Amino acid sequence: MPSLAIEPWGNYSLALGASVECLGVTPWTRTCTTPEILQLGVEAAPEFSCISFKAATGHFIKAAMEGVEYGVMVNSQGTCRLRYYRMLQQKLLKERGFNLFIFGLGYDGFKPPLIRHFDPSLSDFLRCCFRARLKTLTIDDLEVAAWTRRAVEVNPGDTTRVMKDCLKELDQARTLPQIRAFRRAIPERFHHIPVDPGRRPLKIGLVGEATVLRDRCINHDLEETLGGLGVEVRNFFLLGVEMGNIFHIGFWGKYSRSAMRRLARPYLATPVGGHAMDSVAHTILCAQEGYDGVIHVAPAGCMPEVSIRPILRRVSQDLGIPVYECSFDEHTSHVGMVTRLEAFVDVLYERRTKRGVRSAPCDPERT
Amino acid sequence: MKNKAYLGVDVGSISTNLVVIGSRHEVLFETYARVGGNPIASVQEALLGAKTALGEDVEIAGVCATGSGRHLAGAVVGADVVKNEITAHARAAIHLHPDVQTIFEIGGQDSKVTLVRNGVVVDFAMNLVCAAGTGSFLDSQALRLGITVPVLSERAILSAAPTRISGRCTVFAESDMIHKQQAGHRQEDILMGLCQAMVRNFLSNVCAGKELCGPIVFQGGVSANLGIRRAFKEILKIEPLIPRHHMVMGAYGAALIAARAEIRQTRFRGYEVCRRPIATQGFVCPDCPNLCEIIEVIDDGKRISRSGGRCRKWEADTCAPQG
Repeated sequence: MPSLAIEPWGNYSLALGASVECLGVTPWTRTCTTPEILQLGVEAAPEFSCISFKAATGHFIKAAMEGVEYGVMVNSQGTCRLRYYRMLQQKLLKERGFNLFIFGLGYDGFKPPLIRHFDPSLSDFLRCCFRARLKTLTIDDLEVAAWTRRAVEVNPGDTTRVMKDCLKELDQARTLPQIRAFRRAIPERFHHIPVDPGRRPLKIGLVGEATVLRDRCINHDLEETLGGLGVEVRNFFLLGVEMGNIFHIGFWGKYSRSAMRRLARPYLATPVGGHAMDSVAHTILCAQEGYDGVIHVAPAGCMPEVSIRPILRRVSQDLGIPVYECSFDEHTSHVGMVTRLEAFVDVLYERRTKRGVRSAPCDPERT
Repeated sequence: MKNKAYLGVDVGSISTNLVVIGSRHEVLFETYARVGGNPIASVQEALLGAKTALGEDVEIAGVCATGSGRHLAGAVVGADVVKNEITAHARAAIHLHPDVQTIFEIGGQDSKVTLVRNGVVVDFAMNLVCAAGTGSFLDSQALRLGITVPVLSERAILSAAPTRISGRCTVFAESDMIHKQQAGHRQEDILMGLCQAMVRNFLSNVCAGKELCGPIVFQGGVSANLGIRRAFKEILKIEPLIPRHHMVMGAYGAALIAARAEIRQTRFRGYEVCRRPIATQGFVCPDCPNLCEIIEVIDDGKRISRSGGRCRKWEADTCAPQG
C-alpha cells in the first residue's frame, strides 16, 4: 500500500490522516514538527522563506527519506505565498533526488487531483469524510477542554498528560460510534484532573497565522507555557470551525467567516491573504468578550500577518485590549520567548489588579 | 531580634548583581560583578560579599532571582520567587521614580523599553534576534581599541563633531568605524558616532511604534556610559533620568518583589552556599523527538534542581516556583 505524507496541522494531523485512508493509502503524519524535521527544512529551504514553509518542507523530506511516495499540501486560492509552496517544495525534493509527489488540495475541475488519482468509491470516500470530520470536532473539544483545565490544574503537566492519552485513544478509534462514545466521555476525563477552584485565571486569545498557532514546536509550546503561568487561552484556530468556513457549512456561528468579516470591516474591508482578516476580527472579538489580552503570532516575514500589525495596534488602542506581537522563526530562542510571555502575563495581572479584580493566587507577588 | 532583609539576585549575560534591602526598602548592600562565564561561582562570590558586608545582624526573609540565569541562580541560592527581568526592572524604576512613563533598559545582550502609565506597566518591547546596540558591542569595541569601557565613555563625550556610523548591524558598524579611523577621524568623534548609532538603532528597532513620553528612566549596565546618555539627550530632546542604583536595578527590583511577596518561610539556603561545591550536569532527554536538554544542579552529590524540559516531567519533583 502506498503512503501519503500530510503537512503537519498539530493534533489535527490525526484527523487528516484518518481522512485519506479511504484512498487506499497509509497516512504519514506527525502531530508536531520536531527539531530534526525543522533542521531538514531549514537546510533545504531558501533562507528568507517563512518557518511554516521550512517546517512543511522538512516534513516532506523526512517522509521521502522514509520511503513515502505521495504528499499533500494545502494551497490557498488567496493572496498569500502559500499558493506557490507546493511547487517550490516539489522542486526542492526533486533537487535532492527524492521521488515524492505532492498533491495540492485545490480544485482544477470537478474533482481535486488527489481524489482523481486514487479514485476511491463514493461510499468509502463519504465514510472517511464523516470519520475525519467527527475526529476533527472531537479534537476541537479536546483542545477547548485542555485550555480551561490547564490554567487551574494543581499539578503542572496533568492536563497535557490526559490530552496525550486522549489523542492516542482517538487515533485508535475506527468506527463512528466509537468516536462518538469517546467524544461524549471527554468532559468526564478532564474533570478528574485536580484543580484549584479559587483561582481566577487570566484569559488570553491566541490569534494569527494557522501553522504557528497549531504547531507546538514552532510556537515553543505557547499553550502549555501560558497554561503553566495560570492563563486560560483560546487558540483561535480550531480546524472544526475552520472547515465549516471552508465548506460554507454553519455560516451563522459566532466564529463563522461572515461574522468575522462583519467584525473586521471597520478596520479592514478587504482580505489581505492568509488568516489576516480573521486575526483582526478575533482581536475585536476578544475585546468584546472581555479577554484580558491577545497574543498575535506569525512567522517572521509573513506578509498578510505583518501587514495587519499596525491595524492591531489601532484596535488595541481603540478597544483597550493589550496585544502582544510575537514573530517566530528557527532562530527564536525558547528562553527569550518565555521571558516575554511571563512579562506580558505580569502586565495583564497588574492591569486586572488595578481594576479591583482579585488576582490568581498562583502568583504570590500580588496577593 | 534581627532586622529583616530581602535579597534580589540578577544573573544577566554580562554581570551578576546582588542587592539586599531592608524592611523600609532601603538598600543595605549592592554589588555589580562580571559573570565571566561561570554564573554559579559569581553568585557565590557576590553572596560572600553580602555576608562580609552585612554580618550576622540581618536576617534574609525572602529571596527573588531574576535575569536570564534566574532559574539557575534561584536553585543555587534558594529563591522564593523567580521573576522575569522585564518586570523586575520596571518594579525598581517605578519604585524610585513613581511618575516615570518610559523605561529604557540596556544591558549586556538585551535592550528593552517599558511603557508605564500611572505607575502601571502597559507595554514593553525587547530586542528580538539581534544584539546590536547593547553592552556587549561596546565591550568588543573597547577591546579592539585597547581601552576600557569607562575610558570609552569619557572619551566619547569630548567629541565636538561626531561622525556618522551605521548602526543597523554591529559587523557593518565596526567596518564603518574602521573606515572612519583610516580616513583620519578623531577617536572621540568615532566613539560618539558609535554611541549615536547605537541609540538610533535602539529607538528605531526596539522602540518602533511606541509612544515615548517623559520622564524617561535609563538603567542597566549601559546607562553608566556617558556617551550613550548624551546621545539619548540629543536625539530625544529629553534628559533621561539615571536612577541611584542604575547598574543593579534588576536585582533591586527583584529584592522589592521579594519584600512584597509576603513570604512566610523563606527557601533561602543560607550564606553557606558560597562555600558549597555546586556543580551542574546536562543530558538529553531521549523520551520524545523534542530532545530537550535537561540541566541538573547538584550540590555535594545531592540534586537540588532540574530544568530545561518542555513537558515539565523532569522539573516536577524539584520545581522552583514559577511566575
